[in-house]
Amino acid sequence: MDSSIQVITTVIIVFALAVTVIATQVARRRRESFPLRPLPAYDAMPQIVGAAIEADRPMMVSFGNAGLGGNSTLLTLASAELFYQVAQRAAAGTVSPILAVSDTSAIPLGYGTLRRAYQSRGRIERYKGSGVRWFPSGNRSLAFASALTATMSSDQVSGNVLVGSHGMEMALILDASMRRRLASVAASDQLEGQAVAWALSERPLIGEEMFVAGAYLGDSATQLGSVIALDTLRGVLIVGIVIATALLVSDPVVDAINRIIGGGR
Amino acid sequence: MTRLLSLISSVIAIGVAIVVLVGLLSGAEVFAGTTNLLLQLAVMTVAVTILIGIINLLGIHLRRILGRQRGWVYSIVLVLSTLLVLVLWLTDADAENMALLEGVQVSIESALAGLLLFALVYGAYRLMHQRVTWAAMLFTVALLIILIGAVPLREVQVLAEIRAWLLAVPVSAGARGILLGIALATVVTGIRVLIGQERSYRE
Repeated sequence: MDSSIQVITTVIIVFALAVTVIATQVARRRRESFPLRPLPAYDAMPQIVGAAIEADRPMMVSFGNAGLGGNSTLLTLASAELFYQVAQRAAAGTVSPILAVSDTSAIPLGYGTLRRAYQSRGRIERYKGSGVRWFPSGNRSLAFASALTATMSSDQVSGNVLVGSHGMEMALILDASMRRRLASVAASDQLEGQAVAWALSERPLIGEEMFVAGAYLGDSATQLGSVIALDTLRGVLIVGIVIATALLVSDPVVDAINRIIGGGR
Repeated sequence: MTRLLSLISSVIAIGVAIVVLVGLLSGAEVFAGTTNLLLQLAVMTVAVTILIGIINLLGIHLRRILGRQRGWVYSIVLVLSTLLVLVLWLTDADAENMALLEGVQVSIESALAGLLLFALVYGAYRLMHQRVTWAAMLFTVALLIILIGAVPLREVQVLAEIRAWLLAVPVSAGARGILLGIALATVVTGIRVLIGQERSYRE
């Protein structure tokens, strides 16, 4: 690794570490001082799961191509947290939620997450491993999309949460979801998938919103701390971009003003 | 006992994360060997999960067949296909295996890829039909400009220029914004793993 990249990466990690630790402590002590901005997808989640329980039908959560051990490892952990929140609520009902993954490394994580969700509700006897399903993705993930579309029909799915790494194939899943008038929450770390999610999903999430499910759906102060840290880092980044842009454009602007004041001399 | 296991798993996860991070960032010889070993272990573990995936797939579909659940006929097709591919692989019938892949999977995936555009446009239309918001209208206008602007006709040259500008400036800026947001959230999630706040291995 290039030495300048090493230094920059180290600085970013140390800064992010300091901000996260401070934000977590602040969130623990002054929790009420940091209300979360409303996100329709998370606001609607309890109702979507509640409707699934009432209808005695399963919710389907999909991670897409996200898996452990690669670039999408942390996204997979964030998606697992969202699945945990959905499964924990769904554990009150009789039908287990379905987790669809196409990366095999996400299967053990899925089993563990589902088991923990039922355990946290004291209903471990109702836990069924068949809730976690592997659908091989094929070259372009279209086989995965068609498998999910078929699952919607065969398992009479009540609603879809597609949060992870999906591409354009998400259009097929969301189209089928819309035709069946099912509730859908969608987001992706791939730009094509994100665009499709925004256009076709009932309640899309965008970018970093995928990573904050624990803060919105759970009640943990550490999760809230992560949101505060994320907002702080975003603010710092915005200020950095504005300053860099101002420095870049300042010389031409000053020159132009001088020319105008000087009458073009 | 559960707490002890949780503590042990947390210590292992945090320890491995710190060693690998320091090894990758510093590039020091001291950490290089350990980092490579840990990464190889991760790769091997992920490879084993493919076996878990196959067992998962067959288990779910066999259960569906035995329980005569909805769609059990498709499950029979899936199980038979899996067995056929396994037999072809065991008998080194590579040509037949490739023919099966090219003739069935690639063709079906290509057909589905052709359907994507219609699903996207029809879905956007239906979304507008359900709820007309300023964002949905903006999306539809941009979609129309981009689609019409791609037509190689002199009459729509203006739209082609607008299309090029849209793709170069607002789309590029928005895409970078989304990617930066995801990158920041990834860093924060990574920090959560490092400081033991991540639930997936802690509980």
